[in-house]
Amino acid sequence: MLSLKHIYKKFQNRLVVDDVSFDVQAGQVIVLLGTSGVGKSTILRLLTGLETYDSGSITLNDQPLAAQSVGMVFQEFNLFPHLTVEENITLPLQIVHKKTRSQAEAIARNLLTTYQLQAHAHLRPQKLSGGQKQRVAFARALAMDPKILCCDEPTSALDPLLTSKIAQEINKLAQNGLMVILATHDTELIKQISCTIHLMQYGKIVETTTSAQLAENPEKYPHIKNFTQGLTSDTTNN
Amino acid sequence: MINLDLLLQYYPLLLAGVMTSLQIAFTSCAIGAIIGTGLGIILASKNKSAQLFAQAYVSIVRGTPMLIQVMGTYFVLRSLGIPIPALWSAIISIGLNSAAYLSQTILSGITSVSKGQIEAAKTLGFTQAQTIRYIIFPQAIRTVLPNLESEIVTLIKDSSLASTIGVYELTQQGQIIMSQTYDMPSIYFAVGIIYLILTTTVTILMSLLNKKINYHVKP
Repeated sequence: MLSLKHIYKKFQNRLVVDDVSFDVQAGQVIVLLGTSGVGKSTILRLLTGLETYDSGSITLNDQPLAAQSVGMVFQEFNLFPHLTVEENITLPLQIVHKKTRSQAEAIARNLLTTYQLQAHAHLRPQKLSGGQKQRVAFARALAMDPKILCCDEPTSALDPLLTSKIAQEINKLAQNGLMVILATHDTELIKQISCTIHLMQYGKIVETTTSAQLAENPEKYPHIKNFTQGLTSDTTNN
Repeated sequence: MINLDLLLQYYPLLLAGVMTSLQIAFTSCAIGAIIGTGLGIILASKNKSAQLFAQAYVSIVRGTPMLIQVMGTYFVLRSLGIPIPALWSAIISIGLNSAAYLSQTILSGITSVSKGQIEAAKTLGFTQAQTIRYIIFPQAIRTVLPNLESEIVTLIKDSSLASTIGVYELTQQGQIIMSQTYDMPSIYFAVGIIYLILTTTVTILMSLLNKKINYHVKP
């Protein structure tokens, strides 16, 4: 189990993560919902080791979380432009996991088939559409066999059809036992995945529910209901 | 009037001068590239004291004439009892000078790579050295190559400063021929044309290399 306890993070004098605590079980999808600037992405950056927290603890199965256990899909994908799609997947496997070239290529081919990217294996990322880049970013992160997958605004560049495909993929990953944490303001996405939703405002989690509970009784969760109906005004701490 | 017969007669000396000039230019460039890369990485790092050292080095080298550096290196080493050949003294001093300029080129190459690329490498588990080797350098080379081209061209021309400490490079060989023939127009013309051929050849070759690299790493 992944456990975040009383996490605080300040940038200069601005508190961007304010006493955030939540747990994630294997196979569970967590959605950090909120407008831009409420601290969702910062929490993902703390999990991936790109930022350090000021106080609190993050543990995986009661051990301090190692950054290698966490995969990340960035909002801008951050694919390596000097490498082909296949090399984007094989290079980290060879360099970090010390796989041989043939082992890395076998893993890459498998993932490229899963994500229907075989035809694009030898193209560079700049030749791909937004949806294809997104799938490469998923494949690259998953190739490293993470226990936790963080996705920052995974559908911001996608049309509704591709959003549905990403939702299906996230559901499938969770069914396979992966812990998935999404930072998003896309209310369409959360309608399509089975998840626990934490609504964030001003760096704090202000309301928590599951997608099933929300569908059953939305009135019980006024903040999330308002957010999904677009009634939330400025909830950032900027 | 250009005396072609004279040039044909003395071409072995000019050719020897060309070889020495190229040796100075390319060896200095290699030294400059290695040390300049180290300085560029330090300047892009977060280590403040190392940065201060690198900045001081760059300021001192860029703030003093190369002629002083070439002569100073040779005579200081000699006065310290280090019997370094004039050729190698010239190569070292020009190489150290080149390092200061190339460090700025390397620095701009490194900073041209987006922060997101470095963060992606970090989340995939790359170490800092691996990120530099496999992610930053292959992308930074696009920015670095055009400046490297002009640096090599500059070094070919600056190699003539080695003549001040008695190295028989192209300019020095020309002066020797002039002292024997007193035909200054022919020799100056020939030496000038040879420098132009060398620098143009380097420009063309580097442009081809630049195109090839850009084809592979174009974002």
